[in-house]
Amino acid sequence: MSPTDPLLVMRDVNKRFQGVQALSAASLEVEPGEIMALVGENGAGKSTMIKVLTGAYRRDSGSIVFGGEPVDFASPQHAQHGGISPIYQEINLVPFRSVAENIFLGREYRRYGLLDWGRMNAEAADLLRRFAVEIDVRRPLMDFSTAIQQMVAIARAVSFKARLVIMDEPTSSLDEREVSVLFDVMRRLRAEGVAVIFISHRLDELYQVCDRVTVMRDGRTVMAGRMGDVDKLHLIAAMLGRDLETVRAHSTGFSGAHAAAGEVVLSAEGLQIGRKVRDARVEVRERQIVGLAGLLGSGRTEVARAIFGADPADAGTIELGGRAVSPREPAEAIALGVGYCSEDRKADGIVPDMSVRENMTLGILPRLTSMGIVDEARQREIVDRFMKRLAIKASSAEQKIRELSGGNQQKVLLARWLCTDPKLLILDEPTRGIDVGAKAEIQALIRELADQGLGVLMISSELEEITEGADRVFVLSDGRTVADLPHAEASAAAIMAAMAHGGAEAGEEAVNG
Amino acid sequence: MIIDRRTLLIGTAGGVAGLTIIPAFGQVPPLKKKDHYKVGFAQTESNNPWRLAQTASMKDEAAKRGAQLVYTDAASSAAKQVADVNSMIAQGVDFIFLPPREEKPLIPAVMNAKKAGIPVLLVDRNVDPSLAKPGVDFLAFIGSNFVLEGQRVADWTIEKTGGKGKIIELEGSVGASPANDRKKGFDDTIKAKAPDMVILASQSGDFARDKGRQVAETLLQAHPDATIVYAHNDEMALGAIAAIEAAGKVPGKDILVVSIDGEKDGVQAIVDGKLGCSCECNPRFGPAAFDILYKYANGDTIPPMIINPDRFFDASNAKEVLPTAF
Amino acid sequence: MADAPTIGRKGASFDVAAFFRRYAALTALIVLLAFNFAVTPNFASWQTLNVNLTQVATIVIVSVGMTLVIATGGIDLSVGSLMAISGALAPMIFLSSFGLSYPALGNALAFVAPVAIAGMFGLFNGWFITRFRVQPIVGTLVMFIAGRGIGQVLTNGNLQAFKNPTFQFIGLGRVFGVPCQVIIMLALVAAAAWTLRSTLFGRQILSVGGNERAAWLSGVPVASVKRWVYAISGLCAGIAGLVVVSINSSSDANLVGLGMELDAIAAVAVGGTPFTGGQATVVGSLIGALLIQLVRYTLLANGVPDAAALVVKGAIIAGAVWSQQRGKPT
Repeated sequence: MSPTDPLLVMRDVNKRFQGVQALSAASLEVEPGEIMALVGENGAGKSTMIKVLTGAYRRDSGSIVFGGEPVDFASPQHAQHGGISPIYQEINLVPFRSVAENIFLGREYRRYGLLDWGRMNAEAADLLRRFAVEIDVRRPLMDFSTAIQQMVAIARAVSFKARLVIMDEPTSSLDEREVSVLFDVMRRLRAEGVAVIFISHRLDELYQVCDRVTVMRDGRTVMAGRMGDVDKLHLIAAMLGRDLETVRAHSTGFSGAHAAAGEVVLSAEGLQIGRKVRDARVEVRERQIVGLAGLLGSGRTEVARAIFGADPADAGTIELGGRAVSPREPAEAIALGVGYCSEDRKADGIVPDMSVRENMTLGILPRLTSMGIVDEARQREIVDRFMKRLAIKASSAEQKIRELSGGNQQKVLLARWLCTDPKLLILDEPTRGIDVGAKAEIQALIRELADQGLGVLMISSELEEITEGADRVFVLSDGRTVADLPHAEASAAAIMAAMAHGGAEAGEEAVNG
Repeated sequence: MIIDRRTLLIGTAGGVAGLTIIPAFGQVPPLKKKDHYKVGFAQTESNNPWRLAQTASMKDEAAKRGAQLVYTDAASSAAKQVADVNSMIAQGVDFIFLPPREEKPLIPAVMNAKKAGIPVLLVDRNVDPSLAKPGVDFLAFIGSNFVLEGQRVADWTIEKTGGKGKIIELEGSVGASPANDRKKGFDDTIKAKAPDMVILASQSGDFARDKGRQVAETLLQAHPDATIVYAHNDEMALGAIAAIEAAGKVPGKDILVVSIDGEKDGVQAIVDGKLGCSCECNPRFGPAAFDILYKYANGDTIPPMIINPDRFFDASNAKEVLPTAF
Repeated sequence: MADAPTIGRKGASFDVAAFFRRYAALTALIVLLAFNFAVTPNFASWQTLNVNLTQVATIVIVSVGMTLVIATGGIDLSVGSLMAISGALAPMIFLSSFGLSYPALGNALAFVAPVAIAGMFGLFNGWFITRFRVQPIVGTLVMFIAGRGIGQVLTNGNLQAFKNPTFQFIGLGRVFGVPCQVIIMLALVAAAAWTLRSTLFGRQILSVGGNERAAWLSGVPVASVKRWVYAISGLCAGIAGLVVVSINSSSDANLVGLGMELDAIAAVAVGGTPFTGGQATVVGSLIGALLIQLVRYTLLANGVPDAAALVVKGAIIAGAVWSQQRGKPT
């Protein structure tokens, strides 16, 4: 292979699933030692493309040439040995085993036939130090935060001496400092001649670190060029397939219009939950979107779960519609008119083997039942309605939900809660892992629902969502509510200041900054 | 060398293994004369009437003689029975009564008892004679002559049918001496004395009624021309009778059923005309077994093989025998 | 943009290999039947069908309950022991002085009480597992061990032999020429299949097995669903116990249902219900049980010793699971 040949050439790749053409003559070219951004809406085919490359799926047709040789990997393990290391969105490691074990999974060092822990531990620690991560590699992986786990996954991939590393949404659970460390590592890989494919929805990040960009849409490759030659608006236009003019000026789907708030739907005071939450306060009114902001670990999800009855609160009061309640399980909260769309759709959300229809109606199944038998006609009617309304992309309502893209799965889960016709809807990271187009759709939908009378409590790590979408923002820091900001004062700076310093200064920052 | 957990474990295992390799020579250990003995009875299982009767007989006799009986039940596992015998040795019994579940796996148990100085009397089942000898490794064997039982049933069947017929055989538990011997006795006699008779199929019913029924049902279906069913025990025969009736035939008329044991339900079946004959195999070992124990302590010579006389039941004597059947 | 979604899958081209992978057990059954027609003596008769169906009926009855339990991601090891309890209680009832003086009432009670009591022990299993968050394999181990002991204590280990044509109809009787237990077996299979497909309870079972946390967060009464499936498993075991003692005209608490839990689990495995839960096919369990039964029959009728049959049974289970794994989507 000559130095000027591309490292990877995928051409005319086709892949079809059960009636949906996931890839349609798609192509991807990566030079050695470059960072390539791969962008597109959910369902555009990015993940499928990667899975075809690494052998997790078999392509129907097309050619893949890697390092000058045509390849056809039969499994991700083959691809790994061939020099391609993928890191997926969900961290596919073993939580119960130690960090070092996870890094060396499948290729452990042996001495006299027994596992050589000493060497593995030492090398694992060295590897992580390159990422500025200093941890005890003998402890089980699950002891560490998601961010650290992500770093371990990346370290593992890097340690395979790959020529091509594929990162699928690696920054979704990382904070700013961790992201910049990751970018440093990517630049170092580039300097060593290793190519990186970086899949992300966070366009700003891509502009920081990528050399070139490939855009996919509806299973096709629609654009490929130098990152510096494409500005953000053009990029989004290519991803959405829309005219420049119609791409909104705002970065989120929240229209910015805020209807007048109505009666108090939820009022929680002095919440104490385990060791995480010490004194949380939150209030939501009808027609209002309330944002709950805070760093990873500040206790937002715990507050949401307590209101929903999924975890018991040790102290504090929760009032729904003015009445004091203490739901002991989700079924009680649902009966009281609360819905909760959880953060981790794989673990808490979808029932993977069931269809879109079944998943969507899981919460209202008793209401569709008479004499123990499910009324399938009514069920189908409701499902059809919501599939249209939320523009859910699936070959049919009977398709297994695990085959849908992350964004469409999230839409189904959202529909599940909307079906229950709640008065209060709690959304925990509702647009995480979802592409620009669907994100905007969902955000607009949330606004619409609020305008129609729903009270929404929205937890989000994306500041734009909070600053643009929320009528009121509560900031949690270390399990305490440290700020209560109306929309006008809730700028990104004010919120971050509140997270950092907690309380008094937040008000000052808002006035001054 | 570091004394860590691994070395400790390996050392202990090795030590224990070493202890068991002490060779066993010499004769059967002697038995002191005592007023009250502590005896062990390692029963094989308690899941059929024959075994229950045997256990009851041993317990009654022990109570009568004022002996302390250490009783264990191996729940049909040869391995557990070996462990039971070992635990009796550890408890320091004077004497062990043992019906070995299978011929070969119980040899180590017998040898261990000998090494520990405890005489063993094998009751109702034997061990492999090439590996352990009466009078040398264990005291003696008392029980029925299973081979003879099979022969007697064969003779009766030949006489009843005039030497003609097609036979389905239901065997006992695989590897058990009664099953092996009863098969040998019957099959050899048939081959020698009735060349016109043929054994169509021979499968194990595990000495149990339900299994015997299912196996009989299947074999009768595959061989509708069978005219005789020979079961190694009454339980299986009763199962076969149920299978024959379920198939719409009449046991005793369409198909002759013969078996061994002489249990109450079997004798009743003879009275009812469903079972042709049943050679007795008396489970009441208590009196005879304890007699041997006392005789041995007294210094008498014990013959290596003591055969229980078995009666033979058929329509001619079934009614009288019924009240005393076990 | 997506079109209005159509209900039902669009037609896919017929993939022969995929078809056989999915219907592996049924295919194997058909092949084995063909083999038997050719080789086994006297196979082509109604009586043979009769014998095989009656021999397999008890396993299928227990497998129905077992399928539902496995669909929730659990397992029930206690079924054999519950059969022993039910089989021990029935004769005790109709042979008691009450039962003999009022035979009609005695017989009726002898049907209802043992099944109900087995169901209650099943409910106990469910309660124990949900209340203490014990793994089902450990939780049902308790009844597996203690249950048979209870049966043995009730009867003192003794065999109860009896003759009661009314009661024994369940095992020996025929309705329009079809044996009673076969009718019960088919009725239970149909009822369970329909429940899973069309009722709220059935869908809740599958959602609990599919993703218990998601189901709970969606308001599904997870603990209650689990308790009920174990109760149903107990009821099925109770019925099976009555059938077994009826056929044999005797009840031996030591032997009734021995090893039945493994036979039922094998039938479910071969039938294609995954042990991770979330999907279930009761008809599959029926086919799985039939396949295992037919193999046993084939070997026995052709003179192969019983020990070999066990090895073959193991091979079938391994083969079934292998072919199911191959059929999974890439």
